[in-house]
Amino acid sequence: MPQTLRLVAFGSAVCLFLAEVALAGPGWAQTQTIRASNAWARRAAAMGKMDMKGSMEKMDKMTGDKGGMSPMAEGGTGAVYVTLSNTGSQADALIAASSDAAGTVELHEVQKEGGVMKMRPVKSIPIPAGGKVELKPGAYHIMLLALKHDLKPGEKVPVTLSFEHGGELRIEAAVR
Amino acid sequence: MRRPSVFRGFRTGIICLLLAAGSVGASQLKGALPTPSRPAADFALMAPDGTEFRLSRQRGKVVALWFGYTFCPDVCPMTLSELLRARERLDKGRQRFRIVFVTVDPERDTPARLREYAQAFGGGFTALTGPAAQLAQVRKAYGVVAEKRVVAGTAASYLIDHSAFVYVVDPAGQLRVMFPFGMSVDDMVHDIKLLLQ
Repeated sequence: MPQTLRLVAFGSAVCLFLAEVALAGPGWAQTQTIRASNAWARRAAAMGKMDMKGSMEKMDKMTGDKGGMSPMAEGGTGAVYVTLSNTGSQADALIAASSDAAGTVELHEVQKEGGVMKMRPVKSIPIPAGGKVELKPGAYHIMLLALKHDLKPGEKVPVTLSFEHGGELRIEAAVR
Repeated sequence: MRRPSVFRGFRTGIICLLLAAGSVGASQLKGALPTPSRPAADFALMAPDGTEFRLSRQRGKVVALWFGYTFCPDVCPMTLSELLRARERLDKGRQRFRIVFVTVDPERDTPARLREYAQAFGGGFTALTGPAAQLAQVRKAYGVVAEKRVVAGTAASYLIDHSAFVYVVDPAGQLRVMFPFGMSVDDMVHDIKLLLQ
């Protein structure tokens, strides 16, 4: 009898696990130890209505100190925020992000020195084992460059996050 | 730390210096207080539609001055959206509250770009630009720091380190209070309502 019970319990656990995986869909992989919550993006302008001819002429004039800048990179920018929790026992780090909504996606950090805000790119954002990191205004954020369209409240921005150990995770950031 | 003396007074340290400046006691304001109290430096800059904006013509209104740039994805839009949220909560006082965005990046922020930016935020604020030298003069008058930085590791050709205070001018044209980055919308509404009285 106890053995039957154990079998039933084991079977249920397997079913629950499979159901969870099925319900969660492709959002997070079975082995994923990083969970994302509260993903959102700030409304933003694509700056796509800019007169491209005019801006290209302007670019030519500036070529001297622009060092091979891509004109697209100077388009509209946006920021995506998310809380990343690490359920594993190994420290991890967000190392890259990509999105169809932007030409380039970078990881940035804002440092406040006195009353001055300094935004700088970072190579990775650490997520401690069993802990979490909150990407939020005035701190870490995922920076979208060369936005392909305006980010309007109510929309969702799909972003794929890459981790040092935890593979990839696709999130949808609600624009607000 | 390059902070002009104006920035030093947070309300904990200063209570009465501003009492003489207007009807509202400084001790009631929640933001940072400029010391000494002084008239807000006047300036004339250009709105995207080509019209001139002159600060001294805004008497009777509370004006929130924000120095930012459209390429800034984080600090600037956050500050603007919080000011816009504060504005929504002013009820009838809304007509007497103006949000003004002064670019620190005239190179990128053409009038067309400023117009598009303002539209994306649903309007509600006036974006200003002007000749670089004139913008620098306005920043100096308010003690605003804005330094262009060419930074490795980004596709952006440059970023701008900049002060993150909102300068709030009362209906009499006095610079009365400065909102530090991250000040709550509740506190902003509180201070703006006091100055509108």
